[in-house]
Amino acid sequence: MKYALFLGCTIPARARNYELSLRKTASVLGIEFVDIEGFGCCGFPIKSVHHETFLLLAAKSLILAEEHSLDICCPCSACTSVLTEVNKKLSEDKDLRQSVVEKLSPGKTYRFQDSIRVRHIARVLYEDVGIEKIKSQLKRQLTGLSVAPHYGCHYLKPSEIYGGFDDPGNPKSLDELIEAIRAKPVSYEGKDRCCGGAVLAMNENISLAIAEKKLKNVKEAGADAISLICPFCSVMFDDNQRSIETKFSESYQLPVLYYTQLLGLALGFDERELGLNMNKVKTAELVARLGQKL
Amino acid sequence: MKEKIKILVVDDEEVVCRSVNRILSKEGYRVDEALRPEVALEKMKGAGYDLVFTDWKMPGIDGMELIARIKEIRPETDIVMITGYSSIESAVKAMSLGAFNYIPKPFTPNELSNITARAIERRRLLREERSKAEKTYVIFEYVMPDDLYYLPEHAWVRVGEGKEVAEIGIDDVYQKTIGRITKIDLPEPGGLVTQGNPYAEIHASGERIYQSFSPISGMVAEVNQELKRDAGLVNKDPYGKGWIARVNPSSLEEDLKNLLHGDAVIKWWLKREIIERRQENYVNVVALDPKFKFEIAAEPGGEKIRSCFACGTCTAICPVREIDDEYNPRKIIRMALLGMREEVLASNFIWLCASCYSCEEYCPQGVKFTEVINAIKNIAVREGHIPPSFITQLELIRTHGRLYPIDDFDNKKRKKEGLPPIRMEAGGAERTYELSGLKKMMTKTVRPSP
Ligand code: SF4
Ligand code: SF4
Repeated sequence: MKYALFLGCTIPARARNYELSLRKTASVLGIEFVDIEGFGCCGFPIKSVHHETFLLLAAKSLILAEEHSLDICCPCSACTSVLTEVNKKLSEDKDLRQSVVEKLSPGKTYRFQDSIRVRHIARVLYEDVGIEKIKSQLKRQLTGLSVAPHYGCHYLKPSEIYGGFDDPGNPKSLDELIEAIRAKPVSYEGKDRCCGGAVLAMNENISLAIAEKKLKNVKEAGADAISLICPFCSVMFDDNQRSIETKFSESYQLPVLYYTQLLGLALGFDERELGLNMNKVKTAELVARLGQKL
Repeated sequence: MKEKIKILVVDDEEVVCRSVNRILSKEGYRVDEALRPEVALEKMKGAGYDLVFTDWKMPGIDGMELIARIKEIRPETDIVMITGYSSIESAVKAMSLGAFNYIPKPFTPNELSNITARAIERRRLLREERSKAEKTYVIFEYVMPDDLYYLPEHAWVRVGEGKEVAEIGIDDVYQKTIGRITKIDLPEPGGLVTQGNPYAEIHASGERIYQSFSPISGMVAEVNQELKRDAGLVNKDPYGKGWIARVNPSSLEEDLKNLLHGDAVIKWWLKREIIERRQENYVNVVALDPKFKFEIAAEPGGEKIRSCFACGTCTAICPVREIDDEYNPRKIIRMALLGMREEVLASNFIWLCASCYSCEEYCPQGVKFTEVINAIKNIAVREGHIPPSFITQLELIRTHGRLYPIDDFDNKKRKKEGLPPIRMEAGGAERTYELSGLKKMMTKTVRPSP
């Protein structure tokens, strides 16, 4: 399983805990990542402002991957949806493909989705690595840990680009991944709802209120932690949890872990290797509750 | 409730007046009769009526003129025109003068009673709509998918490529006024349908049975079998999965002339608003830009905007709307469809969408609102409306190729943690901006919204 690792803008600068845990866990599960020079912004932040630039930025990265004959693996859900969308569009629409390629790499031909796939890391773990393989590698039991999965929006939506993978209205892949490491997935109201991250820069009040609703629902459902798979969502629930608590006079103290961090714990890595020291809401207590390494 | 509803029936045939009176009085309505239009007008000047049934052909003042005169005196009155079967043209004309509906002669007591119930339900719906926060913009009738042809408040027809088959169904105003649909008696394939005449019976809650009128003439090629399993599909998705039949049209060109299409639909409703003297509550009709929806539809992602029929599913599911009422996807799309170009482009609310795609997943019409709002934002930016935070983002990506630049210090930190260095692309995304035309646009129009 060899993938071009597409980190996007946020992860290398603001979510190194995600990157650390991702690389560590991948290494023991047989996923090989190739870092490609030239991968930058996927285009997501520009989509609402200038469609053509968004298209070219995404296409540029897809072309790089195709030149390396590698599928792309994204840990960020926004990058996943943008690259999947453009990959699909450019393979289906010949005229658009020709005009885009003409601008970026004149004289060459690329096949996009007919040649390379774009996959979120959670989907890679679920489909390519598989639940059984994960189970077979466990070095520590997370039994007794109740974890609320936060799917976020772009991992499964818009569903039309993902070819029927999982059900965005009633998703299960992350639940099953949590189960695979012997933790207990917790169901809660609004499980398929948004984190509010995309409006943070425009209207902090709305954004934090959306995230607060979710924290409240997770807390009420009795979860010990939230597990997520997107750096934007982590900004909302981890980085901003303190601000939300102050603003809404609440105390949540809910540890927020990337799924790869939880997985890393189950695979026997220690906290530092997984960047848990970088999580804003402290995770020490939670880790202390886990069983010993086998 | 019913005894409070006052109905006037106007017909020069005494027997018609009597029978309408008898049927509706039995239902508990207060019914009055006028054998001459002049008498009807005198009566209108007095106490007034909620609903008027009037014959079309009468000596002296005819039905059309009577409608116009009644609307002059009491614009809020609902009027039902009594017509002959094949006069759909005059029925549509009557409705454009402000009549609520038409009923073809001869009619059964059941039909009369149902049309009365619909008129009352429609009044209630309108009152409810107008009391909502959205009342400053538009009422529900204005927004219908505009690739269709309408027999207003009744039926629609979608003409397929080649014009050999046309799909027909009932519109959402009709559907809303009859309530929950429990069963539909579909026509037989091979049977003939005639424009303006009944072709299917619709059973709704309260054990009422309504006639559905065909918007075109022709032969039934196919009926929607799904409706046998779930007739409620018509309530859920009247313009899509709730289609009723596919017809091989016999005189399509002629039939379409009697129906409303495209901008004519909006104009028709606006005219009704003006007749009923409600326009001042809504929009400045003159300032509307009817081309705006086409402009959006021409943008990538905006293609399906015209399929919206304002069902409000997007609004119900939107997480931003849940927090702040000011943000309302349905309202935005209605404003756009109506042509409120400036109000939409210069607004702050278009920038509040969280791009969560929930609306897109649930929209019965496949409108793709998340993409539509991106299309609208793209147009807004070209017109110079862009929030400052987006300008900062554009600059960062242009110069560094990414939103969060990585410098040597960051790479040292990464190295210490065992992470590979991130090489910043020389020149950032400058070249891409040049190729896409964004660079040029940034120097010209991209400046912060006020
Ligand atoms: S859900 Fe779709 S059809 Fe309904 S109002 Fe929203 S965009 Fe329009
Ligand atoms: S995509 Fe935007 S409009 Fe649609 S539900 Fe999400 S926040 Fe609301």
